[in-house]
Amino acid sequence: MGDYLFYALASALVTFSLLAVSLPNLLHGAISLIAAFFVTAALYIMLQLEFVALAQIMLYIGGIIIFMLIIILLTTGLGVENRHKISNSRRLAGAGVSTVLLFGLLYAIGSKPSTVLVKDKYRAAPVTMDDIGLRLLSTGKEGFVVPFEIISILLLVALVGAVVIARRDSSVTYSHGDGQKESA
Amino acid sequence: MNQLPTDTNYPVHNIVGDLVRHHFPGVAGYVNGFLTLASLLLLVALLPVFLIWLERKVAAHFQARLGPMRVGYHGLLQSTADGLKLLFKEVLMPKGADRFVFFLAPILPASAAFLVMTILPFDHHLQVADPAGGVIYVLGISGLSTLGILMAGWASNNKYSLLGAMRSGAQMISFEISLALIMLLIVMVTGTSSLRGIVLSQQGTILDWWIFKLPVLGLVAFMMYMISSTAELNRAPFDISEAESELTGGFATEYSGISFSMFFFAEFVNMFVSAGLAATFFLGGFLAPQIGIGLIDMVLNFIPGFVWFFCKTVLVIFLYMWFRWTFPRLRIDQLMDLEWKMLLPANLVLLMVTGVFLAVGWIL
Repeated sequence: MGDYLFYALASALVTFSLLAVSLPNLLHGAISLIAAFFVTAALYIMLQLEFVALAQIMLYIGGIIIFMLIIILLTTGLGVENRHKISNSRRLAGAGVSTVLLFGLLYAIGSKPSTVLVKDKYRAAPVTMDDIGLRLLSTGKEGFVVPFEIISILLLVALVGAVVIARRDSSVTYSHGDGQKESA
Repeated sequence: MNQLPTDTNYPVHNIVGDLVRHHFPGVAGYVNGFLTLASLLLLVALLPVFLIWLERKVAAHFQARLGPMRVGYHGLLQSTADGLKLLFKEVLMPKGADRFVFFLAPILPASAAFLVMTILPFDHHLQVADPAGGVIYVLGISGLSTLGILMAGWASNNKYSLLGAMRSGAQMISFEISLALIMLLIVMVTGTSSLRGIVLSQQGTILDWWIFKLPVLGLVAFMMYMISSTAELNRAPFDISEAESELTGGFATEYSGISFSMFFFAEFVNMFVSAGLAATFFLGGFLAPQIGIGLIDMVLNFIPGFVWFFCKTVLVIFLYMWFRWTFPRLRIDQLMDLEWKMLLPANLVLLMVTGVFLAVGWIL
């Protein structure tokens, strides 16, 4: 059962990913990217990584894809054939990078597994949210409290920065289309 | 006292589930799972019918009218009739619209509403699933509604639709930040993000609900939740995405028949979900409102939990409807100002003060 499910999900993932980069219409590409993200989340669920799956849905589908969609909707000339011409040298470079990546992965998880994978195999699944929270906020050798706090401050700065940008300069007056003046 | 057990394992006994388990022991898991989803689907299908009737009645009484009175007792069957009429209407698609996206778009908000319903704790053990990251799940899935609206606006090939969709997209992303921060506050004070766990953390008397348990701050957080969820639902006074006087019908201008009714249904189910979350986070979910007097508490506890849940949820829904007839509609720039210059800074301060409260131990 689990194996068949994995193959079904994996082939769906490959199909949607290929569609995402090959469809001529950008919006259709974005939609298949959403589908690919959902299938990835399903794979994480199969690996019993609940938190990673939920974070995947929240960050990618709820956040990044929506921003991509807004940018796509603001562009003109959607739906027409506007494919970029790709030179052969670029294709060659792409093929080279993918081959190196493929063989690297095969080497890492193939006949001679690296020590990282073997060590992690025994303690990987299932990871609960509590485990993640405790490890993120513990100070010991296994803890990540400093990176966690630094990332939090970075995100807070980004949020406050957005507010600062949104604040208008109080000295500026601007007029509406009907000549009405408003000062903020 | 009335401490509910937190670790009772599934399966939980009920009449239908036990009957299936008795007669078909082999496939009981599948049959019961199917029945669960089917009953939830039935609820999702019937809720909007009731809520639309309620909306019309509340609106009418706020304006000293009677509202629908002819079809059924006090017009109870009016929205059923309207729904049937919508189902049989022709589905029109504008020329030059993107066929695939046009028909995909209405499905997304409807399925988002259904997916969030699966983790609402209707009663002790009356919940389809209880993921440990329930709050994250809610936040992630609610992004699907935004996606559906953006797609609908673009696929309609109509500038009013696109404008409405862009407005609503901007609005929903902005207010989702406030909503997420308030949920973060609740997760912070309860120490769990499973919705059942959040309800179970409010056991005791009425003063143990988070709206009162966190002195003053709970009430402030509840008010902020109401404001941001009203905006997230695109309801009046924040319904600029379909401001009739400026944008005809907003993103749904070109939709008709069943496609339109799916948007409409999703809106009402989302309202129920949002109200249910408010009840879960602040009003004790399925717990009875005990007041600490033994005899009265016994009577209150006798009423099953899902009745309390629905009562609290309908109360919050009534608040949403009340807002609609009390406040004038905001302009888009005022709306954005409200979020980015008032609600968001206020949220950050609230989060900080709550941290101080937690550290000092000022919790009832």
